[in-house]
Amino acid sequence: MNFTIRKAAVLGAGVMGAQIAAHLANADVPVLLFDLAGPQGDGNRVVNKALAGLKKLQPAPVVKRDRLQYIDAANYDEHLEQLRDCDLIIEAIAERMDWKNALYTKIGPFLSSTAIIASNTSGLSIAALADGLPEALRGNFCGIHFFNPPRTMPLVEIVPTPSSDAAMLDRLETWLTTRLGKGVIRALDTPNFVANRIGVFSLLATMRHAETFGLAPDTVDALTGPKIGRPKSATYRTGDVVGLDTLAHVVTTLHASLPNDPWHVLFSLPGWLRGLIERGALGQKSRGGVFRKQGKAIQVFDPTSGDYRDSRNEVALEVTAILGMHDPVGRLWALRTSSHPQAQFLWAIFRDLFHYCAVQLGEVAESARDLDLALRWGFGWAQGPFELWQAAGWHETAEAIAADIAEGRTLSSTPLPGWVTAPERSGVHAAQGSWSARQNTHVPRSKLPVYRRQIFPELLLGEIGARPESAGETLFENEGLRFWRLPAVDRGIGIVSFKTKMHALGGSVIEGMQAALAQAEAELDGLVIWHDAPFAVGADLKELMTAVDDREWAKIAAYIERFQQTTMAIKYAQVPVVAAVQGLALGGGCEFAMHAARRVMALESQLGLVEVGVGLIPAGGGCKELALRCARWAAESGTATEQLARLTPAFMAVATGKMAKNAVEAIDLGFAERSDPIRFHPRELLFAALKQARALADIGYAPAQPVRGVPVLGRAGIAAMEMTLVNMREGGMISAHDYRVSRAVAEALCGGEVEAGTLVDEHWLLAVERRVFLELLQTPETQARIRHLLDTGKALRN
Amino acid sequence: MKQIQDAYIVAAVRTPVAKRKGLFKNVRPDELLAHVLREVVAKAPGLDPTLIGDVIVGCAMPEAEQGMNVARIGVLLSGLPNCVPGITINRFCSSGLQAVSDAANQIRLGQAEVMIAAGTESMTVMNHMMGNKVTVSPDVFAHDENRAIAFGMGLTAEKVATQWQIGREAQDTFAVESHRRACAAIAAGQFSAEIAPYEIVEHLPDGHSGAVREVRRWANDDEGARGDVTLESLAKLRPVFHAKGSVTAGNASQMSDGAAAVLLVSEKILKQFNLVPLARFCSFAVAGVPPEIMGIGPIAAIPKALQQAGIGQQDLDWIELNEAFAAQALAVLKDITLDPAKVNPQGGAIALGHPLGATGAIRTATLVHGLQRTGGKYGMVSMCIGTGMGAAGVFERL
Repeated sequence: MNFTIRKAAVLGAGVMGAQIAAHLANADVPVLLFDLAGPQGDGNRVVNKALAGLKKLQPAPVVKRDRLQYIDAANYDEHLEQLRDCDLIIEAIAERMDWKNALYTKIGPFLSSTAIIASNTSGLSIAALADGLPEALRGNFCGIHFFNPPRTMPLVEIVPTPSSDAAMLDRLETWLTTRLGKGVIRALDTPNFVANRIGVFSLLATMRHAETFGLAPDTVDALTGPKIGRPKSATYRTGDVVGLDTLAHVVTTLHASLPNDPWHVLFSLPGWLRGLIERGALGQKSRGGVFRKQGKAIQVFDPTSGDYRDSRNEVALEVTAILGMHDPVGRLWALRTSSHPQAQFLWAIFRDLFHYCAVQLGEVAESARDLDLALRWGFGWAQGPFELWQAAGWHETAEAIAADIAEGRTLSSTPLPGWVTAPERSGVHAAQGSWSARQNTHVPRSKLPVYRRQIFPELLLGEIGARPESAGETLFENEGLRFWRLPAVDRGIGIVSFKTKMHALGGSVIEGMQAALAQAEAELDGLVIWHDAPFAVGADLKELMTAVDDREWAKIAAYIERFQQTTMAIKYAQVPVVAAVQGLALGGGCEFAMHAARRVMALESQLGLVEVGVGLIPAGGGCKELALRCARWAAESGTATEQLARLTPAFMAVATGKMAKNAVEAIDLGFAERSDPIRFHPRELLFAALKQARALADIGYAPAQPVRGVPVLGRAGIAAMEMTLVNMREGGMISAHDYRVSRAVAEALCGGEVEAGTLVDEHWLLAVERRVFLELLQTPETQARIRHLLDTGKALRN
Repeated sequence: MKQIQDAYIVAAVRTPVAKRKGLFKNVRPDELLAHVLREVVAKAPGLDPTLIGDVIVGCAMPEAEQGMNVARIGVLLSGLPNCVPGITINRFCSSGLQAVSDAANQIRLGQAEVMIAAGTESMTVMNHMMGNKVTVSPDVFAHDENRAIAFGMGLTAEKVATQWQIGREAQDTFAVESHRRACAAIAAGQFSAEIAPYEIVEHLPDGHSGAVREVRRWANDDEGARGDVTLESLAKLRPVFHAKGSVTAGNASQMSDGAAAVLLVSEKILKQFNLVPLARFCSFAVAGVPPEIMGIGPIAAIPKALQQAGIGQQDLDWIELNEAFAAQALAVLKDITLDPAKVNPQGGAIALGHPLGATGAIRTATLVHGLQRTGGKYGMVSMCIGTGMGAAGVFERL
């Protein structure tokens, strides 16, 4: 039986409810957003206010503003009847058992017998909530716990009750994974489920050790952020982001619902944090919490002085050196044995986290894999606790923890469970699966058919599974890329995967691409460009600057021409070329994608022609493609004035180096086409791209003929664009060199200084690109920009 | 040829001025024009409309809905006899005042006895300030001395602010005062003699019944004036045209929709139809200034117009000085020392709006009715003009 959700309802237009509705709208799911009825005649006031609030929220909950109009406002007094059409109802009202039960009773009579009802509670027992439901609905009920922000945080915890229908849970997991792009784990119905239970424990343990070691919040955040593979918000700033009052609420829930947890005494916030909450310093939403902005300076609350001071970054050099070590075994050992308090602090927080996870694994999660993935997907950690432990040497670390327990250094004296210290154990992730303390065995990954779309699922450290760099059958390989195929999926489609740093495009990638195209045309049915994010960050500037330093202009000209020949070869290949784009696709990377027969894009893709940042213009056919597309759109619209109207936003995007924030915006900016599929789950990209290439091949793909007779805007178009530049220059917004570079962009987009309406072909447009690119490259300002970027990684404004 | 008779204003009406995409978002500029033409003729009952020699209409962006010689379209839509001709003229922001002058001159030369001068502009129908297709000559950029042609108006205001040393606070203070005066004048009904209320008829889909719903409502007052504007609220706005500038959306004129018409006749017609004149047209002058500081245009135009009228600056009782930007208005006030109390006593374009080509006719209506109400004698309408000009017209109340 096919399963789909034709329409969904979200009950409760709070921060989470409204954002979940927004993400459903992103996925083209019609959605009703309910809340309490407002006064007579303005029944949807509460929801309308929430929808207005979504427009201001950053990061944006919708990929494009117009998606908001697909959310229908509704209220419990007038619109319950409309619930009958809904296949999924997500309840996201305030965390009160009595309110939720009352709402279920109210909506019960209006629900379809097949509708899935799921609660986004983060603290209440799902089974207890189910008890409040009419008997007939309980089979279709479960918990569905999203993380904030729900558009970009991958994790959704599905929490079944004993009466949840197994097939329903599978259908929901499938749908959440492929349609909404979520990383789903099945959580147990224990307080705060998996990610928050462990994640909040980690925050509290970190705060406790910070007190013990006398470390201020700014130092703690500097230590517990990206340096240890966690988000920049680290510890205290995470509290500011979610709201210190919200955090306090979660902690209170933990305290009340886990009276027998051996770490129970830890479930309270430090007194000074409670003081901040009482003063109304709740974090970002109240413009100040542990951190606050004072003009341009960031200030931090220092518990020792009881006042704010300028935030500092006081990580000791020796600790930075330890954290920079590549070998995880040596790194953890060095932290443990260093006498520096910052190192001791880090060892302590890892140790107690590992200790807690080991003791609680059986209670909170089905397997160590679920626990690790929950922290990766729900808290943005690069690695979960168990995989870190395993990578650092299971036994040695376990012994060290046990020793600290024995010496009374740990936050609880509970001994490590027996399975941890079993002599044959070398970790929790192994060939046969990941350890389940509940089942006392290793359990494999889910066998749900939806995961077949993830040819290379996200693997944990130590987890055994297929890895793209060694999978399949290599057709050929050079320094820049590997050309290979996956006979198990489709032996007729070749896959190009870049191997360069950040997937930059250098000579070896260009030549490799040419060779791959030639081989695909000769022997295969299609070609896919795929690798993990980023898709490609652009041309290899180091290579370029070496040639500039040697003043080898002829060589550079030849290189640019070769680059253009390659994008043209992609466009006019006899077999379909499909670019599977995720993450950044900038400059030359964007141009590669633009020339493919199709792009299959992950929703969170950032395409952009950002060459102006280094004082150059897109010269790999990017300007040419924009000019062609705008001319085509204008011709389709039937009005001559439309061409300038179309080209102007493209000009502004390129001239300001604007990056499309997502795949939908990439289509609007002309970097992709409306017919390009967008996938919400990035791990499905390769599967989708292979299928797309196969479909194109099977229906008889043939490239179009090279475009001729394209009208360009010429001198008139350049003048119209220059008008904007004159005002920006006079208005002190751009430099003289910005002006020059932007005018060069205008020239390339308008086909050079010819009369408006002149008919040209692709080769003419490419020649204009090459000429202005080389002119710019010879200016000292452009060379300074490139050097600055190579040296510092930052853009130079000159 | 030389002047053989005087031209007298016997009626001057205007629509309320709506914000761009505001009250008149579904009202066409030719409909607004037809409305004021009907209303202005109705103010002179008994006057034979076939005597109207021409209808001269100012419009700064005469294209699309206000293209196709909108003057003639407006005449025909208004129900005036089809023997009444119409011409659209354009001198950007002074188009409406230019129309009054051109109409007066037809009478003064004896080429007509009855004329209508008007202005209409819908900035709602323009995609851009600069018309639906922005295109300038490439030569503008080929020579440095031509570049200012391409400057946005706000940028020229920044240059005026710098050169005449008009600071941000002075501009914001001026803007607050403009709103205060406008609100007070509206509350006191001081615009009621000149405004011909407009009934807006809109055809909107009714999702429930599936029928087209006709919605009717009246536009009675200018839409742009705000009682809640303060120095503090304006201080929060960011400069738009220069990274370190002082010109913001709050101290610049509003983009608007509106129309006005002025009926002018000779002395012969006054007597023949027993009409009561509101004012006599005295003089009109235009002058060019550097385009990059176009806002100071009035400084060049005002002395010329006064000289032609044979009066001094001190003889003026009421000055309608278009507030394109607070910066340029203040520069003009400062440079030729106009008395701020006499300038825009009922607020200006920062509060009341600036429907480009209609403004000159609209402010003429405000001036002649204002002089009537207050008993002042001489009054003037003046404005700056994009690409560097100024215009000024002098009127005498009768």
